[in-house]
Amino acid sequence: MADAQSTFSESWYRIAGQRISLRPSVRVRRQNFRGDRWIVLEDPFNNAFFRLRPAAYELVARLRPDRTVHEAWKECLDRFPDEAPGQEAVIQLLAQLYFANLLQYNLAGDTAQLFERFKKRRQRELSSRFLNIMFMRFPLLDPDRFLVRTLPVVGKLIGRFGALLWLVVVGAAIKVAIDHWPTLRSQSENVLSPGNLPLLYASLVIIKTLHEFGHAYFCRKFGGEVHAMGVMLMIFTPVPYMDATSAWSFRSRAQRMLVGAAGMIVELFFAAIATFIWARTGEGVVHSLAYNAMIVASVSTLVFNLNPLLRFDGYYMLSDLLEIPNLSQRANQQLGFLAERGLFGVRRFESPARTREETAWLTTFGITSGIYRVIVFAGVLLVVADKFLIIGLIMAAVCLISWVTVPVWKLIKYLATSPRLDRVRLRAVAVSVGLVLVLVSFLQFVPFPNHFRAPGILRAGQRCEVINQTAGTVEVLLAKQGEHVRAGQPLMRLSNRELEVQIAHTLARSQELEARVLKATKDDIASLKPLQSQVEAAVQQLAKFRADEAALTIRARQDGIWVAPGIDTFVGRWVTRGNQLGLLIDPTAFEFTATVQQEDVDALFARKMPGAEVRLTGQASTIVGVHDWQVIPAEQRMLPSSALGWLGGGDVAIAPDDPHGRRAAEPFFEVRAKLDSKTGVALLDGRSGKIRFDLEPEPLLPRWTRRLWQLLQKRYQL
Amino acid sequence: MLTPTHDYRRLDYRVPPRVLAGLDAMVNRGVGIYQRRAQRVAKLREDAERIVCDEARWRELPDASLHERLMEFRGTFRRGGKLADEIVMGALGAIREASRRELGLHPFPVQLMGALALHRGFLAEMATGEGKTLTAGLAAVLAGWTKRPCHVVTVNDYLVERDAAWLRPLYTVCGVTVGGVTAAMDPAARLKGYGCDVTYTTSKELLADFLRDRLRLGGIQNPTQRLIRRLLAPVASDGLVMRGLHTAIVDEADSLLIDEAVTPLIISAPTKNELLKEAGILAEQIAGALELESDYRANSRYKEIELTDSGRDKLAGRAGQLPGLWRGNDRRTELIRQALVAREFFQRDKHYIIVDGKIVIVDESTGRPMPQRTWREGVHQAIEAKEGLPLSDPSETIARLSFQRFFRCFHKLSGMTGTAREASGEFWQVYGLPVVQIPVNRPCVRQHWPDRFFATDAAKWNAVVLEIERLHRTGRPLLVGTRSVASSEKLALLLSERGLDFKLINATRLAEEAETVAMAGEQDRITIATNMAGRGTDIKLGAGVAEMGGLHVLATERHESGRVDRQLFGRAGRQGDPGSAQAFVSAEDELIRRFLPVSLQGVLRRSLEARFVGSTQIAEKAFSLAQRRAQQMAFKQRRAVLKADTWLEESLSFAGGDTV
Repeated sequence: MADAQSTFSESWYRIAGQRISLRPSVRVRRQNFRGDRWIVLEDPFNNAFFRLRPAAYELVARLRPDRTVHEAWKECLDRFPDEAPGQEAVIQLLAQLYFANLLQYNLAGDTAQLFERFKKRRQRELSSRFLNIMFMRFPLLDPDRFLVRTLPVVGKLIGRFGALLWLVVVGAAIKVAIDHWPTLRSQSENVLSPGNLPLLYASLVIIKTLHEFGHAYFCRKFGGEVHAMGVMLMIFTPVPYMDATSAWSFRSRAQRMLVGAAGMIVELFFAAIATFIWARTGEGVVHSLAYNAMIVASVSTLVFNLNPLLRFDGYYMLSDLLEIPNLSQRANQQLGFLAERGLFGVRRFESPARTREETAWLTTFGITSGIYRVIVFAGVLLVVADKFLIIGLIMAAVCLISWVTVPVWKLIKYLATSPRLDRVRLRAVAVSVGLVLVLVSFLQFVPFPNHFRAPGILRAGQRCEVINQTAGTVEVLLAKQGEHVRAGQPLMRLSNRELEVQIAHTLARSQELEARVLKATKDDIASLKPLQSQVEAAVQQLAKFRADEAALTIRARQDGIWVAPGIDTFVGRWVTRGNQLGLLIDPTAFEFTATVQQEDVDALFARKMPGAEVRLTGQASTIVGVHDWQVIPAEQRMLPSSALGWLGGGDVAIAPDDPHGRRAAEPFFEVRAKLDSKTGVALLDGRSGKIRFDLEPEPLLPRWTRRLWQLLQKRYQL
Repeated sequence: MLTPTHDYRRLDYRVPPRVLAGLDAMVNRGVGIYQRRAQRVAKLREDAERIVCDEARWRELPDASLHERLMEFRGTFRRGGKLADEIVMGALGAIREASRRELGLHPFPVQLMGALALHRGFLAEMATGEGKTLTAGLAAVLAGWTKRPCHVVTVNDYLVERDAAWLRPLYTVCGVTVGGVTAAMDPAARLKGYGCDVTYTTSKELLADFLRDRLRLGGIQNPTQRLIRRLLAPVASDGLVMRGLHTAIVDEADSLLIDEAVTPLIISAPTKNELLKEAGILAEQIAGALELESDYRANSRYKEIELTDSGRDKLAGRAGQLPGLWRGNDRRTELIRQALVAREFFQRDKHYIIVDGKIVIVDESTGRPMPQRTWREGVHQAIEAKEGLPLSDPSETIARLSFQRFFRCFHKLSGMTGTAREASGEFWQVYGLPVVQIPVNRPCVRQHWPDRFFATDAAKWNAVVLEIERLHRTGRPLLVGTRSVASSEKLALLLSERGLDFKLINATRLAEEAETVAMAGEQDRITIATNMAGRGTDIKLGAGVAEMGGLHVLATERHESGRVDRQLFGRAGRQGDPGSAQAFVSAEDELIRRFLPVSLQGVLRRSLEARFVGSTQIAEKAFSLAQRRAQQMAFKQRRAVLKADTWLEESLSFAGGDTV
C-alpha cells in the first residue's frame, strides 16, 4: 500500500466514479480523547465500530449515492485544502470501511470475495480462540429483549437513588465485616480446601452472572445494545460473560466508565448483602455460600476486575480515564516504535503517541503490563500444572506456543520481511541477535551470588538439666532465671517437714541408742553388740537424711545460664523427687541444627565447604556467624523440633499421619553448625531460624535448568 | 452468430490464485523444487527420442496421407480429453515431418523437447540460437488444434510479423489458422488477428486489447452475469476484439514475466488539472532555491528525497506563493519532493529525451524511446517544469494492469527464454511455472574471458576502446553492449575520435535494429547496442569469421540482473559456433554505486587502485554481491507490488471487479 500521504493515487480511477455512502443503519457519534475530536461509526447490526479523525469523516459524511467519490473528495479538498485526506488515504479509508461492512454500494460487489472474507474471518476467530485458550468465549444467546423488558424496573436503581442505596448498604457491610474481622479471617483459611471448592464455584457463577448483568443493564440504560451472552472458559472454568461493547460508542466518557465499573458496583453490592447473611446465620450451606460470595466478590473484584494490567474492566476504565483507546495495542506499538527507533535506527516512522504525556503513559503501561502478564500467567500455569498433570502439560504446551513460539516466530518474520526495516535490516538483525546473545551469555556465564536457606533450630552445645534429688516444697529461689551462675552456687531452696521430722526422730533414736549402749556396757555386755550395730544404722540413716537435707538447697553443678521456665510458680509448691526444675546452659557453645532438602544437599556435598550464616526468627536483621558445620550423611525423617514442621508453624511439610508433627513428609538431611558465641543475639535454646549457605557464585541459566529438572523429577517422577 | 458458450468463452480467464504466504509459501517453494527436478528433462528427452525413432515412418508417408493424419490429430485434440494426451508424441512427429516438408526445417530433438515442455506448461530454458521460434510453432500447432485461444507472445511487432509469416505454411498444412496483431492495427484488423487459432502478438498489444475489451464491457465483467444479461437483452455487437485468455506461449519470458512484470500497462485519457500544472511550475522554482545537502538529502538507492530542517524552513517561507491546495505542510512537502526527485534522479538522455518539446521516456534496459508512456501523476509534470517545457495535461488512468497480474490469468501459460534458472523460484511462486533446462543441440564452445576491473570509469572506457581496437585489427566482429543510450553514445564518440567505423543501434526502427544486429556477425564489424537491443534476432557469423574465433561480445557494464548479462554473452557462440565474451566493469558503475554497501564501495575502489594480489577476487565477490542484492531487491519489489495489487483488489471489490 503506497505512501498514504500522497495527494494523488494511481488507483484512484477504481473508486473515483463510484457512488457509495455509509449504510443508513450506521450511527455516528462524537467522542473526545485527550482533547482530540474523533468520530465513532457504529453498526448496530454486527456491533462493528470504526473510529475516524474528523478530517476523514468530513469526506465520509460527503459520500452520497447521488454523487461520485471524486466529487465528494473534490469538495472536501476545496473546503479543507490541508487536512483533507489524499487519494491514497481515501482508498485505504474506504477499504477499511468496506471490511467493517459499513459501506453501501450499488454494485453487487464480488460475491465470491464476500464469502472468502467471511471464511477468513471465521478462521481467524477460530485460531484466536485456540491461542487465547485461557479466555475462550462461546456466545449462546441474545439477552437484549429481556434487558429491554426488565429495564423499566431494574433501571430505576441506576441513578441517584441507586447510588445512595449502594453507599448505605456497602458502608454498613464494611462495618459488619470489621466487627467480625477475627471470624472472617479464621474462616478464610479453608476457602481453598477441597471441600469448599464446589461452593466457591457456585458462588463464583452466581456473582459473575450478576456482574455481567450489571454491565448489561448499565449499557442498556445509556442506550447501548447488548446482543451476546454466553460462557467464557476462564482458565478452564466456565463463567458467564456478556458483550457490552456497544458502550464504546457512547459520547460521554463518564457513561463509558460507568458501564465498565457496573460489574464491580453490582458485585460489591451483592457482596455487602452476602456479608449481612453471613453475619446472621449459623454454620450451614447458606452461611458458607454467603461467605464464599463475599470472598469472590471482594477479592476477585479487587485482584482481577479492577486491575488494569489484565484486560478486564479495570483496563477499559483506565483506557477511558486516560482517554487513550486501544491502550494495550497502542502501548505495544509504542514499545515497538521505541525499539525500532532506539535499537534499529528506523527514522521514517512517527510515534504512535501524539503527545509527551501519551508517550509516557503508553510506555509505562506497555512495560508494566508485559511484566505483570508474564508473572500472572507463569503463576497460573504452575498452580494448574501442580494440580492437574495432564491439563497442566497441555496448557503448558499451548502457552509455549502462544507466548514463546508464536512471538519468536513473529519476531523472526518481522526481522526478515518487515518493510519497515528495509533499510536497516542488517542492523536490526544484528541488534536483535546481539541482544539475545548478550542475554543468554549473561545468564550462562556471569556468575551470580548463589545461596540457599534451610530452616533449623538452635540448641545449646552443653546443657545440664537441674533435677531435685529430694522432694520438698520450694521455699525460696536463690538465683534469678537467666542469671549466669557458677558451679556450686545455690539455685533454690526447698523445705521438707517430713525430712526434718525424720532427722529429729533419727537423732532422738540415736541418742536413745547411745544411752542404751552406755547402759549395756555396764549391765548387759551381751546385748552390746547388737545395740552398736543399731547405732551404726541410725548414724548412717542420719547421714543420709542430712545429705538429703543438704540437697534441698539445689546448686548449680556447672557454670552456665540458669534457665527454668515457670519456676516462679513453684514457690510453695511440693515437688517430688527427680523433677526437672530447669536447665543450665553453657552460653559459649550453641549449635544450629538445620534440615536441608534433598535438592539442596547436593551442593553441600559436592563443592568445597561453603560459608554459612544463621538468622534467627524474630531477629532476622542480625547475622549469627557459623564457624564450623557438618552434614550428617544419612537421610532422616524426624525433625529435631516440631517447630520446624507445618504443625508448629514452620516450612517443612510433615507427614499427614503424624499427630505430633515431627515426621517430615520427605526425607531430609541434618546439618549441624557451631555458632559463634559473640553475637548481639539472645541465643536461646530451641529458637528457630534459618541457615543460609553461600555457595560458589554460579550463572543463572544452569541453575534454572537444574531447578526445572528437579521440579519435573519431583512432580512427575520423570 | 455467437453462441452463448462462445460468448462466455470470449470473456473467460483464470482467476489467479492467491499469492501464498507463511507456511503455505514454504510448502509451495518445496513443491516448486520438486517440479523442477532433473528427471523432468530426462523424461522430455526420452519422449523426444521416441518421436525421432518414428521419423522414418512419417517420412515415407505421401503428402496427402500426412495431411489426412494431421487432420485426424486435429480432431482428437479438438475433442480433448485423455486421448489427446496419449497421442501427443505421434502428433509432434507428424508436425515435425510437416515442418520438414513445408519449411525445409527438420526440428532437432532438443526442439521437440522444448515443444513438449511448452505443451506441458513448463518454462523452457533454451540457449540463444537453438530455434525457439520453431519450437514455439510446434507447440502452438498443438494448442491451435484445440481451438482454444492460443497466443504466442513475442518481444516486438517486427518479430510478430516475421514469425507469423515464416511459420504460416506449417500452420496452414496442419489446419491451423494464424494471425498477428501489431500496434498499428485498427480494431477490425485486430478482431481478425485474434480470430485465428494462433495469434502472434506482443505483450503490450495483448494486455492493451484485454483492458480495452474490459472497458467496453463496463460494469458487468463476470462472464456468467454478462451471459444472463445478454440472454435477456441481446446486443448485436459489443466491439470486443479478443476471445478469452487460454494459452500463452511467451517468448523471452524472463524479460516479460520478470523484468517488465511490474510495469503496469495503463489506458488513460488526458484530463485538465490546472491546479497541478500551476503548482508544478512554482514547485520547480522553489526547488531551484534549495541546495543539496544543506536543504535536502538525496538517497540514490531508494530514490528518495529527505528535506532537512533548513529546507523545511525555506519551504515554509515560500509556501505563500503556492496555490491554496498546496499550502499546508504535508502537501507542499510532497510537491517539493516530487520536484526534487525530478531534479536529482531523472537525467536527460538517460531516463528521457526531449522530442518536439515533449518529454519522451526512454526504456532504461532497451534504450528505446517510449512515446506513450508517462510517469505517474506529478512526476512527469515536475520533469517538464524542470526542463522548462510547457506542462502537459496529466493523464487520468481509466484502466491499469501489470503484466505480472495479467499473465497469471492464463489457464495455460508456458514460456521460453535463454536465461531462466536464476529466477526459477520467482517463476514458480508467481506464475506456477516450473523451469526446465533444455540441453543445447551442439555443445557451446564460447570462451568466457575473465572480467576486467577498473577503479574509475575513465580507466574503464579507455581500456574498452583499446580492446576494441586490438580485436578489430584481427578482423573479428565485435558486439559492444552498453547499459544505457547515453553510454552507447559516449562510446560512439570515443570510437569516432579513434576513426573506427561502427554501427550504433539507436533504436528508432525495430526492423532496422534487428537487421543491424543480424549483420553484427560479419567480418570487421563493430556494433554498439544497449543490452536488450535486438533480442530474438540471431547473429549469424559471416564467411570466414568462424576461423578467426567468431563473434566477440564486450559488455561495458554489468546489469543488475545476471540473466541479462548471460543473454548478452549468449549472443556469441550460438549453435556451437566459436565465440568469446568479456565484461569490463569499474567501481564507479551504477550497479556498484546503487547496490553495494557504501563501506564496501570504498574497499573495492581502494583495492582496485592498489592492485595487489587478490584484488581481482575481491572485485569479483563485490560485483556478484551487488548483483545479488539488486536482484533480491527487485524481487521483493515485484512481490510487494503483487501483494499491494491483491490487497487493492480485495479492498475495493465494492467498486466492481477491476479487470482482474
